Amino acid sequence: MANPILEIRNLHARIEDREILKGVNLSIPAGELHAVMGRNGSGKSTLSYVLAGKDDYEITEGEVLLDGVDLLAMEPDERAAAGLFLAFQYPIEIPGVSTMTFLKAAMNAQRKSRGEGELSTPDFMRAVKEAGATLNIDASMLKRPLNVGFSGGEKKRAEVLQMALLAPKMCILDETDSGLDIDALQVVAKGVNGLRTAQRSMLVITHYQRLLNHIVPDVVHVFSDGRIVESGDKSLALQLEAKGYADFDSEPA
Amino acid sequence: MMLKSKMPVRLNAAEETLIAQLRDAGDGAQAERLNVTGLPTRRVESYHYTDLKMLLKAVPPLVEAANSASAPALRVAGAYQLLIANGVPHPGTTAPAGVIVGTSDGAALSAHDDVLVRLNSALAKKSLSLTLEGSVDPIIQIDRRTEGAAAHSASSARIFVADNGSATILETYSGSSEAHVTNNASYIAVGRNATVTHITVDLSGDGVTHFATNEYVLAEGAKLRTLAIHAGSALARTQIFARFAGEGAHGDFGGLNLVGDGQHLDFTLDVNHGVPNTTSQEMFKQVGRGRSKGVFQGKIVVARDAQKTDAKMMMQGLMLSDQAEILSKPELEIYADDVVCGHGSTCGELDADSMFYLMSRGISKPEAETMLVRGFLEEVLDPIEDDELNEALTAVIDDWLVGAKQR
Repeated sequence: MANPILEIRNLHARIEDREILKGVNLSIPAGELHAVMGRNGSGKSTLSYVLAGKDDYEITEGEVLLDGVDLLAMEPDERAAAGLFLAFQYPIEIPGVSTMTFLKAAMNAQRKSRGEGELSTPDFMRAVKEAGATLNIDASMLKRPLNVGFSGGEKKRAEVLQMALLAPKMCILDETDSGLDIDALQVVAKGVNGLRTAQRSMLVITHYQRLLNHIVPDVVHVFSDGRIVESGDKSLALQLEAKGYADFDSEPA
Repeated sequence: MMLKSKMPVRLNAAEETLIAQLRDAGDGAQAERLNVTGLPTRRVESYHYTDLKMLLKAVPPLVEAANSASAPALRVAGAYQLLIANGVPHPGTTAPAGVIVGTSDGAALSAHDDVLVRLNSALAKKSLSLTLEGSVDPIIQIDRRTEGAAAHSASSARIFVADNGSATILETYSGSSEAHVTNNASYIAVGRNATVTHITVDLSGDGVTHFATNEYVLAEGAKLRTLAIHAGSALARTQIFARFAGEGAHGDFGGLNLVGDGQHLDFTLDVNHGVPNTTSQEMFKQVGRGRSKGVFQGKIVVARDAQKTDAKMMMQGLMLSDQAEILSKPELEIYADDVVCGHGSTCGELDADSMFYLMSRGISKPEAETMLVRGFLEEVLDPIEDDELNEALTAVIDDWLVGAKQR
C-alpha cells in the first residue's frame, strides 16, 4: 500500500517550558481531507506551525513524514518544496513587496527546486489569471503590497490562490473561516474544493463546524490538550456542535 | 583642567598632512585654525558618532589632473552627463535647451562652522556652474570621479534653478579603487515656484573616504526633493544643509544608508525653517550588515518668526547582523510657538514572522531577506517618478544586496 501523504507519530512539542503538543498521532492517506477540531488554546494552531517549520517550537519527541520523507529535518522553504502548504490563519502583511512579485518569487522558487527554469512573464500572468478567476481575484489586488490593507476575505482568497499556484500535495488550512462573512466563506470553500484531487491531501483546522458544511471532511478528529482524543466521520463534527467539547476533555471538567 | 584645555592639541598624521595642504593651497588662516583645533572628535556635537580625528588615519597627497578615466559608475538612459574629474570640472558637450554650463573660480558653499566645508572652500579651485531655466527635460548627471593613485581631492558645483523651472539632477561619485579622500560640495539654489529633484549616490571603492556637503536654499513656493544614497566607501559622510528662505516652500529630504561590513557611513542633516509657512519631511533609512556602523543625525531648526512650520522627521534602521550598529540622533530646535514638528526613530531586525511566511512558500532564506530589505527601502525610492532613474537606483540597491552578502 502507498504511503500516507502525511504521517504524524507521537509528536511532542513545546514553547519555552510549556508543552503544547503531547503525543499527536495522525495519518492522512492520499486524496483524503481530514478536519481537526478543538477549542481555542488546545494546540491546533501549534500543530500547523510545527508542521510548517516555525522555529519558535522545540520538538521533543516523535516524527513527521511527508510522503515517506522526514519533514522535521527540513527548513520551512524545503518543506514547501517537498509539497507542504500552510494557509495561515493570519496571513502576514509585507509592506513594500507587491503580491505579484511575491507570487512570482514563490512559483520560481518551486520551479527551481524541481530543476525547471524561471517562468516567463506571460506564462506567469496566465497561470495567475486562471487560478484567480474562481476566487474573484482581480489585477488591482495583485499590484498591492502583499496582504497590506487586504480585507479578511481578500487575505484568505490570496492564501487559496497561492495554494492553487503552488499545487502542493499536502495542504494545511488553519482556521480558514476566521474573519470571513458567509459570502466570502463560500468563495474560499469553492476555491478549496476545486483543489481536491485523488492525489492531494488536506488538513483543515477549525473550531467551528460551519466551515465543514462547505468543505466536507472524510475524517474528523477532536483535539484536546495537545493530542487527538477522538476520531470519526463527519457526523462527529455535528455532535461536537451540539454538545460542545466538554465530553472530550481528557480531564473531568 | 584649565591648563590642559589651553594646551595645543596633539596632531596626528592626517591633521599634519591637511595643515600642510592648506598652507600649500595658500590658505594660511585655515591651516592655522586646524593647527589649533585639530579635526573634530566625538566631543564636537555634530561629529558625535563620527570622530574624524580617530577615523581619518591618513590623508593622501593633493590630487593631480586626471590622465585616465574609469567608466561612469551609473548610467541613466538619456541623461545629460557632466564630468568633474579629480576636482576639475569639464563643461563638456552641447548643453540641452535651458541648460547653461560653465565654470567659476572658487568653491560654491556658503560659510558654515564645519571642517569639511572649510576644507572644501580652501581646496576646490573651480566650481562647475550650472544654470537651469524652464522645464529641463533630460536628467542632468554630474559624474564626479577621482582617478589615478590615492589622492585627496576637492570638487564643487553651483547650481541655480531659475524661477518656475523644473529639473532632476543626479550626482554620482566613483573612481579608481585607491584610498582616496574626496571632499565634494554642491550648492543648489531653488528659485521661486521651481521644482527640483536632487539625488546623490556614492559608489566609491572599498578604501575611499568620501565627504559630501549638499547645501540647499529654497525660495518662495519652491519644491525640493532630495535623496542621498551611500553604497560605497569605507568611511562616508554626507552633510545636508537646507535653508528655507521663502514662504510656501516644501522640501522632502531622503536618505538610504547601505552599510556593509567594515564601513562607517554617516548622514548629518540640518534643516533650517527660517521663514513662516514652510513644510518639510525627512525620511532616512539605514540597513546594516556585518560589523558596521550607520549614523543619522537630523536637526530641524525653526526660527522665531517661522510660524506655521510643519516638519516631520523619521529614521528607520534595519540590522541584519548582531554586529551592525545603527545610531540615530534627531534634534528639534524650535523658537516659534505655532508649529507642528515631530520626529521618530525606530530600529529593529528583520521580522521573524515575515521571514517564516515567505519561506513557507518555498522562498529561500537569502531571497526572503532580500525581498524584505527591498520592501523596507521601497518607500524611499517610490517617489522617484522617472522610470529610468528609479530603475537605475533600484539596481544600486540590488547590487548592494548581492555584493554585501559576499562581504
